[in-house]
Amino acid sequence: MKNASVRYDESHPAPLQGAQAGESSAVALNLRQRLLNSGRYVILILFALIAIAPFIWMWSSALKESREIFRDPFALPTSLNFENLVNAWTVGRFSDYLKNSIIITVPTTVGVVALACLAGYGLARFSFRGRRLVFYTFLLGIMVPFQSIMIPLYYNLRDYGLLGTYWAMILPAIALGQPFGIFLMQAFFRGLPGELADAARVDGCNEFQTFLRVMLPMAGAAMSALFVFQFMWTWNAFLMPLLYMQKEELRPLPLGLMFFQGRYTQDYGLIAGGVTIATVPVIVVYILFQRQFMRGLTAGALRG
Amino acid sequence: MQATATPRWKWNRQNVGYFFVLPSLVLYLIFFVYPFFTSIYLSLTDWDGVQPVMNFVGLQNYERMLDDPMVWQSLKHNLIWVVVGTASPIVLGLLLAMLLWGKIRGRLFFRTVYFMPVVLSSVVIGIIWGWIYNPIFGILNRFLKSVGLGALARGWLGDPDVALYAVLVAAIWSYTGFCVVIFISGLQNVDMDLIDASTVDGANAWQRFINVIIPQLRHVLTMVIAYTLIGGFSVFDIVWIMTNGGPANATDVIATYTYFKSFKQFDMSYGAALSMLMTILALVATIIFMRIRERGEEEAA
Repeated sequence: MKNASVRYDESHPAPLQGAQAGESSAVALNLRQRLLNSGRYVILILFALIAIAPFIWMWSSALKESREIFRDPFALPTSLNFENLVNAWTVGRFSDYLKNSIIITVPTTVGVVALACLAGYGLARFSFRGRRLVFYTFLLGIMVPFQSIMIPLYYNLRDYGLLGTYWAMILPAIALGQPFGIFLMQAFFRGLPGELADAARVDGCNEFQTFLRVMLPMAGAAMSALFVFQFMWTWNAFLMPLLYMQKEELRPLPLGLMFFQGRYTQDYGLIAGGVTIATVPVIVVYILFQRQFMRGLTAGALRG
Repeated sequence: MQATATPRWKWNRQNVGYFFVLPSLVLYLIFFVYPFFTSIYLSLTDWDGVQPVMNFVGLQNYERMLDDPMVWQSLKHNLIWVVVGTASPIVLGLLLAMLLWGKIRGRLFFRTVYFMPVVLSSVVIGIIWGWIYNPIFGILNRFLKSVGLGALARGWLGDPDVALYAVLVAAIWSYTGFCVVIFISGLQNVDMDLIDASTVDGANAWQRFINVIIPQLRHVLTMVIAYTLIGGFSVFDIVWIMTNGGPANATDVIATYTYFKSFKQFDMSYGAALSMLMTILALVATIIFMRIRERGEEEAA
């Protein structure tokens, strides 16, 4: 329909919508554009509601009594009732679970970042013998699910005398964090100019000083991405504590929350209180550091 | 140590690399590589987890798997999980990322909101969705009744016909935001000149999407799919939390069945064999997928 010779004619800019140039069609185009635009917002807002409504429902339920939740789940709480939150905190031992989560997550995250930086740098900068073998051994860990080691690891941890201590989770979690961490850091260090390290060496730094003072300070972005990723992964881990942190006084937050929910199945207000205690801090931290969160949790997919 | 004979060992600077890699490697060998090979060995024995006796039985556990209807049923569920659980978040993620592409008000807001479920633990997701599906006060049933579809209302997690899909929806809900964010950053690298060129050539929006945008997102797509393939064959948390594999094994996947066999029935060797099956499936699926991807890349070049 459109004439090819017209299409490339300088005086007739390429018609985007196939409409004839003119005042009336410009109005129609504008209208169509606006309709499209509002359709766009309808879809975006609908999905935003789907993403957010379950949270709001859960949090508002925490401020209700169980009776109210049954009567009308959609209704906003008639009066602010903080009893559920207080009860969940004291009855549910959430302060203990929170403490356990911190004791497990902080050393694990620091350990993974520190060791992965070292190893990633080693693999990126030096071509020692067996480097490829080491590299592929770590690659295996990225492609293999945790379940492939969960059974023997249980007995190993028992034999090492680690079962029943926080180490039963911290040490394997540091080890399991290595493959992803190393690939991330190794790809990053590979991208840095090697001349900088050579210059530092000429200036009399040994290899470790070069790493620590010259190269590492440039890896801030990759490190913070890895830090957030590992922190979230450890904080939310479920199967590993289910297997190796069975003692009640060692349970981290997700596991504690699951047992709490199993024990008070009928007291919905209390459960909502527990869920609120477990989610609000995470969501607040997420909103404050959302850029780091997104960068960290998607780093793997973007680097690859 | 043997290397002393060769002159290369005479303090080669490259060997400093060992010291950097060592701490990480030692932990990894103790807590990953060693149990991994133990697992393979365990799957070839008849250990019950308690007795000290452990007899080598060859491939018996693997033969037993072939005759175990629960294995086949769980595998079918994994397959559904992999297909639906990969396709839906990618389609939804692409749709939302495309809508957020370019100049649009509130972009940051939408992105922040979509990503929110991603940061939650699976226990929280399981509890929240357990409430949504609750037959007594769940909002899903209330919603269906209020729009006149009350006949569809049911105990979603208690109905063997729909329970698996109900759990899957919860998983998709928690994962779609991840895809949105990845696709948004992928779209930022799309070459706008190519899009303009195809517009000039008379391509409509759909053709532009399929022929110009998707090929430029292939790198990001590959990574997301590889990730969901591995995750789809080893999914455990959300299923275990929401249904325990029930009702009547209707939501059992290989991982929940493995857990049940090894840590509830203490059939450790069979459990190890099942975990190896899971590992092999995840590995093979990922490698095949990567190969196809590479070949496609070569042909495109």
